[in-house]
Amino acid sequence: MNLLLQGLALGVLTGGLYALLASGLSLYFGVMRVVMVAHPAFLFLAAYLTYTVHTTFGVDPFLALPLTVPAFFVLGVAVQRLLVARLAPDNLAMMSVLLTFGIALTIEGLLGTVYTGSYKSVSMDYATRSLTVGGVHLPYDKIIAFAVAGLTLAVLFAVLVKSRFGQALRATIQHREAARLVGVQTERVAGYGFGVGLATAAVGGTVLALITPFFPASHWVWIGKLMAIIVVGGLGSVVGAALAAIVLGVVEGLVLVTVDATWATMMFYVFLFLTLLARPQGFFGGRLAHRF
Amino acid sequence: MARVRKALTIMSICALALTACAKSDEPGAAPPPGQQQGPVKIGVSLPLTGDFSEPGKGIQEGYQVWADQVNAKGGLLGRKVELIFRDDASDPNRVSSDYESLITQDKVNLVFGPFSSRLVIPAAKVAESYDMLFVEPAGAAAEVFEQGFERLFYAAPAIASDHYDYLADYLTGLPADQRPKTAAYASLDDPFAQGTAYGLRDRLAAAGVKTVVDEVYPPETTDFAPIAAKIAAAEPDLVVGGTQFEDSVGLVRALQELKVQPKLAAFSTGPTLAEFPGAVKGAAEHILSPVGWSATATFTGNQAMVGRYRELFGGAANEDAANGYTVGQIVEAAVNAVKCVDAAKECQDKLTEHIRKSTFDTVVGPLSFDDKGRPEQAHMIQQYVGGKVEIVLPEQARTAELVYPKQDW
Repeated sequence: MNLLLQGLALGVLTGGLYALLASGLSLYFGVMRVVMVAHPAFLFLAAYLTYTVHTTFGVDPFLALPLTVPAFFVLGVAVQRLLVARLAPDNLAMMSVLLTFGIALTIEGLLGTVYTGSYKSVSMDYATRSLTVGGVHLPYDKIIAFAVAGLTLAVLFAVLVKSRFGQALRATIQHREAARLVGVQTERVAGYGFGVGLATAAVGGTVLALITPFFPASHWVWIGKLMAIIVVGGLGSVVGAALAAIVLGVVEGLVLVTVDATWATMMFYVFLFLTLLARPQGFFGGRLAHRF
Repeated sequence: MARVRKALTIMSICALALTACAKSDEPGAAPPPGQQQGPVKIGVSLPLTGDFSEPGKGIQEGYQVWADQVNAKGGLLGRKVELIFRDDASDPNRVSSDYESLITQDKVNLVFGPFSSRLVIPAAKVAESYDMLFVEPAGAAAEVFEQGFERLFYAAPAIASDHYDYLADYLTGLPADQRPKTAAYASLDDPFAQGTAYGLRDRLAAAGVKTVVDEVYPPETTDFAPIAAKIAAAEPDLVVGGTQFEDSVGLVRALQELKVQPKLAAFSTGPTLAEFPGAVKGAAEHILSPVGWSATATFTGNQAMVGRYRELFGGAANEDAANGYTVGQIVEAAVNAVKCVDAAKECQDKLTEHIRKSTFDTVVGPLSFDDKGRPEQAHMIQQYVGGKVEIVLPEQARTAELVYPKQDW
């Protein structure tokens, strides 16, 4: 029983991390119908930058965020305006997979050249301790990841719902032509949307750096998981992705403690298949996605 | 115009094809075996890019240090050694075609093996089909020796399942009241990593140490906390990880977070890498790991190799480089013993025969092989003691006493 509780608690915390890592992916698809295979590569680019800031200045990894978040926003706008916007619109989804796959390989190659292929890690004292509540251990690094994820998603959500930019972005997502008719500069808004997506990668990368050691090819194992999450959640729905992330995190944690790790990893794909069979638009996709 | 260009293209392709045919007809003109002059060409395909690029480069450096030293001594049978490297990008298909072309196009006299079991098997198939001797630095998985290869030898002290033999001897030799009673195993789903953990598991289970957790996780696993939670619930005396790097760090961190305090913890591969203590901080203390080579050992040629490596590459040699160097030492000894070095079947047969029945003094200690090419020795056991890597088993190579039980992490 205690083991189940432990699995549940770890699952919720890990699910929060997944939500943070997947939120950007959901946004790109929502805004642009772009399948962004390079998102995990950008996560690890951020992890490496965090590592550099941490080792050069000896500061807490989270202090890298004031640098990486704006840098990634600008990078995102640049990637969208200079590369993605030039893709032929008639088969954008397919071409964007090819383009972003190329970007992922480029990032991996650059990281390998600059940082070599050996493992890097950011190890903080608080990353190996845990809070014990009623016999259940809650690791601090996971609590921090969960909190950061919650905060980031809350900010993202507030921006999307409250700000004028958010309204324009949602209008662009819902109906690009109509948005243009009422005066939204959809091109620019799409660029900013992409920038916001990459900014979440900067935050996610810092959290990842704290949790796991990494090397240039680390990003590949994340693509499958994160894609499964946004499909289950409903492509384009940030809230759906967050909920799917928590659900899949919990399922993974529970299956891990009751069955084994192979089945736990498989759960992502089981849910992906079930979703595609039963509700291809995802549980919050389709018309619901427009409401966020 | 377009048609003219097309015709030209077709013509030039035909011309190229003809040249290629003409070239492959040449072997008749080559001098008969035995009378060849010029350098001894040794062909190697290595993963210099891709997944295995780090160990691939290590092995390349080991080969280079060996060639450098042989040439300084006047070469093999008086002929200079020339290494021909190909990059297989960690791709099992590329590795086959690399060895094909090394043997048929470059007409190498000898081939040396690539890195990792996954690439060794396809490479060895090619070498066998040309009756070439195949000594390899890194293919320790059980499958490598189950393919029926007759010319393959693994130039390291032990195959995966024997890595922990000295530790198993030590633990089963403890008085009954000190011996661990329960053990938890977590292993990556990989033939090599699993082989190491299961070798120890089977020995200890036979000696009465109860297996309380036996977990296998896929390579995509990124979260080790739930595995640690399972281990925590079982409260084992001993935790063994059949690991590579990220997972060894992930497991150690997760076990700390879940407050598991075993009396002894052993992980494969991860702790032998220089990045390990930094990644787990103080938790490295007293962690055990099997290790095939030690920079401080005084085995034949080891200190000379370490010194020359530093001069050539500027850093400290690692186990991969040592394994590459060992391949060179074995082949060199065999060539000097049978006095031939060419690709002809008779010579390769003699070399193979010699290696099968001899014992070689190498930088990883004396090595001998069984009829499948498996080495018959065991890995040393290292432990972090006072923040330094010390060899604790076996007794004759020991630099410090094994600390048991370990301190809390």
